[in-house]
Amino acid sequence: MNIKEGTFSYEDYTASIHKSGRIGLSIALVMLLAAPFVFSLVTGASIQWDGFAKASIAVCIIYIPSCIVEYLIYVPLLGPGASYLAFITGNITNLKLPCAFNARETAGAEVGSKENEIVSTLSVATSSLVTMLVIFIGVLALIPLTPLLENPVLKPAFDNVIPALFGALGFQYFRKSLKLTAIPLVFMTALCVAVPSMTGSTSFLIIACGALAIGARYVFFRKGWISEVKR
Amino acid sequence: MSYLESANSLPLYLIVGVVLLFIAGLCLLFIVKSYRAGLAIGMDRKVLIKAVTSSASFTVLPSISILLGVIALAGSLGVPVAWLRLSVIGNLQYEATVAEMAAENMGTSLDSSLLTLDHLVTILAVMTFGIIWGCLLSIFTMKKYSSKLAIGRRSSAKGGGFASIAMTAMMIGLCSTFVGSYLSQALRTTTFVPFLTALVSALFMALFDALSRRRSLQFLDSFSLALSMLAGMIGSIIFTAGGIR
Repeated sequence: MNIKEGTFSYEDYTASIHKSGRIGLSIALVMLLAAPFVFSLVTGASIQWDGFAKASIAVCIIYIPSCIVEYLIYVPLLGPGASYLAFITGNITNLKLPCAFNARETAGAEVGSKENEIVSTLSVATSSLVTMLVIFIGVLALIPLTPLLENPVLKPAFDNVIPALFGALGFQYFRKSLKLTAIPLVFMTALCVAVPSMTGSTSFLIIACGALAIGARYVFFRKGWISEVKR
Repeated sequence: MSYLESANSLPLYLIVGVVLLFIAGLCLLFIVKSYRAGLAIGMDRKVLIKAVTSSASFTVLPSISILLGVIALAGSLGVPVAWLRLSVIGNLQYEATVAEMAAENMGTSLDSSLLTLDHLVTILAVMTFGIIWGCLLSIFTMKKYSSKLAIGRRSSAKGGGFASIAMTAMMIGLCSTFVGSYLSQALRTTTFVPFLTALVSALFMALFDALSRRRSLQFLDSFSLALSMLAGMIGSIIFTAGGIR
């Protein structure tokens, strides 16, 4: 990529993102996997392999399928640059995805476009840095800050960050098509009323509700019930 | 040295600091690359800066919520492990669940009076190993997968086609999942605060949306989501203080 000489090529940019992403994630992953061993060396502790194996099998049975599904869904929505960062920094559903969507809306970029790829990468990278910074400041100020953050008066506010996020975000998206919104919203509400334990399985139900909304959108359009969902 | 003293020792902070510094450097590298690419394809500098500022303001409040997760986990795992795990991959729900599963499989629980350093490093190993799959898929398949999806081959000027419409539908589904679960709680039990918080947040979003259409208040557009969330969170304090559950 050589912008200064006016020879910029988007293909070169994409290739450099893939190269940096693959090398960066590989190094980060090695560092993360090495952390328990380095901790062991420093503290003189040793990993209990029996407990590790038993727990890892249980964890992998639950989380490998969801990791694969998330990967297949999120990459088309975010683009590769943002996805590399989102998968290494985490908090995708509750932070990175809404954050990137918000930035995309603000920029007026279309999904799958160069502009969306660039805005999403900027958004996820900024969001990751801000999260790291907030946690870093919090860790530095952990002792003086803990009583404030754990104050019973303020506790409901922090317990309800996610409802506050999806209330505001819901307004942005629900108003685009109230007819379309009714389908997944009624489905989810009815399901959670009928099977209360489902309330705690939102990470799996996101995929079901998303698929339902996309399917409903297609059927509505075919039947001519809605002409176009506002973008 | 007690378990928590060892779990909170300076060398562990330094190890975590090095890992996070590397990941922060990667984020900065991607910001520079994508910002320069955006300018090169003719995007307005203001749009790119707005993407950065709106994302930063959007992230502050959820990050404080993640910080609370660090505080919650630090009680049993020490600050360095909680700091590392909640800054990379995963999320609070995953980390707390998996830490508990790992502790149970070793015949103990997430209680600092019962845990040993052997437990701690094993729990950290399980938490890390259980969530690496998205990263591995990214390293080995992202290039091929994204090229098949033809990401970045179109321009926004040409319209997004079905992908854009499907993404809007996907977001409606995502929001419906959460709002539906709060609504069902309000209908099924006497837990109204999450739904009312979402409602207040939505009402403020509508207000900021209307205000930001005025030329003099256009700046509100970048902060409307963060401010609406703040209004919803303040609402939750008022509802709880008023005896609503």
